[in-house]
Amino acid sequence: MTQKTVLRSDELSCPSCVPKIEKALRGLPGVEKAEVRFNTGRIEVEHDPAQSDVEALVKAIRGTGYEARPSAF
Amino acid sequence: MNEMERLSANMKAAFGHPARRRLWLTAGSGMLIAAGLIARYGFGMIELWSGLMVIAALLAGSDIAVRAWRALKVRHLSIELLVTIAVAGALVIGEYWEAAAVTFLFMLGAWLEMRTMGQTRGALKDLLDAAPATATVLRDGEPVEIPAHTVQPGETVLVKAGQRIPVDGEVTEGTAAVSEAAITGEPMPAEKAPGARVHAGTIAENGLLRIRATNVGADTTLARIIQRVEEAQEEKAPSQRMIERFAQWYTPSIIGLAVAAFAFTQDIRLALTLLVVGCPGALVISTPVSIVAGIGRAARSGILIKGGQHLENAGRIDTIALDKTGTLTEGKPRLASVIALDGTAEDELLRLAATAEAGSDHPLGRPIVEAGRKQGPLPTPETLDEHAGMGISARIEGREVAAGNRRLMEKLGIPLGTDGEAGLERLLRAGQTPILVAADGKLVGLLGMSDMAREGAAEAIARLRDIGIGRVVMLTGDQPGAAEAIAREVGIDEVHAGLMPEDKLELIRGMRAGGAHVAMVGDGINDAPALAAADTSIAMGAAGSDVAIETADIALLKDDLGKIPDAMAISRATLGNMRQNLVIALVTVAGLLAGVFSGDIHMAGGMLVHQLSVLIVIANGMRLLRVPKEARRAAAGRESREQPATATART
Repeated sequence: MTQKTVLRSDELSCPSCVPKIEKALRGLPGVEKAEVRFNTGRIEVEHDPAQSDVEALVKAIRGTGYEARPSAF
Repeated sequence: MNEMERLSANMKAAFGHPARRRLWLTAGSGMLIAAGLIARYGFGMIELWSGLMVIAALLAGSDIAVRAWRALKVRHLSIELLVTIAVAGALVIGEYWEAAAVTFLFMLGAWLEMRTMGQTRGALKDLLDAAPATATVLRDGEPVEIPAHTVQPGETVLVKAGQRIPVDGEVTEGTAAVSEAAITGEPMPAEKAPGARVHAGTIAENGLLRIRATNVGADTTLARIIQRVEEAQEEKAPSQRMIERFAQWYTPSIIGLAVAAFAFTQDIRLALTLLVVGCPGALVISTPVSIVAGIGRAARSGILIKGGQHLENAGRIDTIALDKTGTLTEGKPRLASVIALDGTAEDELLRLAATAEAGSDHPLGRPIVEAGRKQGPLPTPETLDEHAGMGISARIEGREVAAGNRRLMEKLGIPLGTDGEAGLERLLRAGQTPILVAADGKLVGLLGMSDMAREGAAEAIARLRDIGIGRVVMLTGDQPGAAEAIAREVGIDEVHAGLMPEDKLELIRGMRAGGAHVAMVGDGINDAPALAAADTSIAMGAAGSDVAIETADIALLKDDLGKIPDAMAISRATLGNMRQNLVIALVTVAGLLAGVFSGDIHMAGGMLVHQLSVLIVIANGMRLLRVPKEARRAAAGRESREQPATATART
């Protein structure tokens, strides 16, 4: 089952990090959609938590050099 | 835990977090560079200087290289890759100082940019932080603390003095002064008693409230506002879209340029320097930073601007059209006079009018219904017809009753008679809005309604003129007499009264056809066509109305006319800021390229200028977050005055 997770990062400082994070997230198994909003630092992911859970999303973002945390909305 | 374990745990904590690790690496390489400079210029130790520079470059460069590699793995050509190639090249040709300086400046710049960009987004962060994470609910009579978004609608939430309210709901017990500043930007707390609606994110400053939850989590007004603000900040202004298209070509062209430059000149330094200045940083960030700051700043004072496009539109407004009832006035009219005609008793007149109006939600109807109910229970009309912009007709106990303006009587073919004309004249002279009441084809009386100009309305109109809005127009469906009384009071000299909704629409269209950029301010459904026709639509009192939040270009969360000049001022400031940023960015790019080709700028210098330009652009955007001096003074003025400026002749 696909679910939508919202993460937030305070560290996006140049719009060039947007495609980098998006590509890293889309490379994970079970991720259908990943969108990074530079202006607000909001990261929206549609994923199958059985294949990639929220922790895996956070780790993938950390791998590109940015810290993000899940957010209620 | 022994000393070594603790040290390694500390190291892990410091280096596990990417931002913190980068800060340590930056600080480390900065210190090595400083030591190297002292070694060379203090003691002439060239060897040590070179060694320290190489270590500094490797230290800071390692993180950049790792990030470049990770991006490359997901097939992304990153700026880190450009810097890594440039620094590797510099080390190979023996430019140790350049390599160290470039990596250090790149890391330091990125860190500073992250910090300042975070602050620019800060206005929204305040809103996000306004929602408390936990709520205390009563379950089986016992208070239980649970995550705020797991509260069930209908549950009772306890809020103590000083706490933030975690849900939207209705007060069931207790009273408190509640500060709604987080949502409406209004600094004065509002008294809340049983029956009052409260919003998540507001603070109970005293007392103890029991609240029945109606909306929780993502359904709260606060969450919807945050969502709206974010969408607005993400919505790209036309100028931003243009720049992004340009930027897409910019980085690849710079790489091409670097390769071509090397092929022609065989000057490896020139080529590497081009790579270093190749990030279009200041340019791509120039407009988003202004928009994020401008919209965030507006949201903090309870003004929702729905995106960059609307910001650009609002910045160009030169004409403002305002609805009267509910916009310029309180929208809480009082029943001021009752004139019964033709042998009808006053209470019968009121009973008929109130019964008809009970089926309508027109603001003018409410006080009539209240007055009617005081006399006793009202019957239910058998049929009911609303005539938009005119009034209402109904069948009550077998009688054909109509209540509305003169136009309604004309439409129904009901003559006013000399007594009717005289009564109408009297009400209009007193600046009251007349409602004519007829039964079975005969006028049975008139009701005079009076509404008060909103507190601060005159001041808001004056400020609109101050900031250069040349033409302020009142559009109202109300009678000319009542409209002109309010217009005089608030300082509007162009009044169009007695309008139907489509007349308002036509007038707005006419103004736009004449070349004006028009903003329409309204609150009611009858303003909807005019709002849609204007360049910018502004809705008042949106905190209570989802429709207004959804449809207007600019939504004022609180009924405060003073927010309109604020919104205009913020839009103008944001537009100006965006233009300044664009100029800074373009001048920097042009200057850097010219400098590189003329040989005046080398790698470290190029990186320094580049990072500085990004920081200047962000810092310039941050200026928008400050509250302008005049707005602060005006807000202080609004709070300190106790009595609203109202007309004297209307009683």
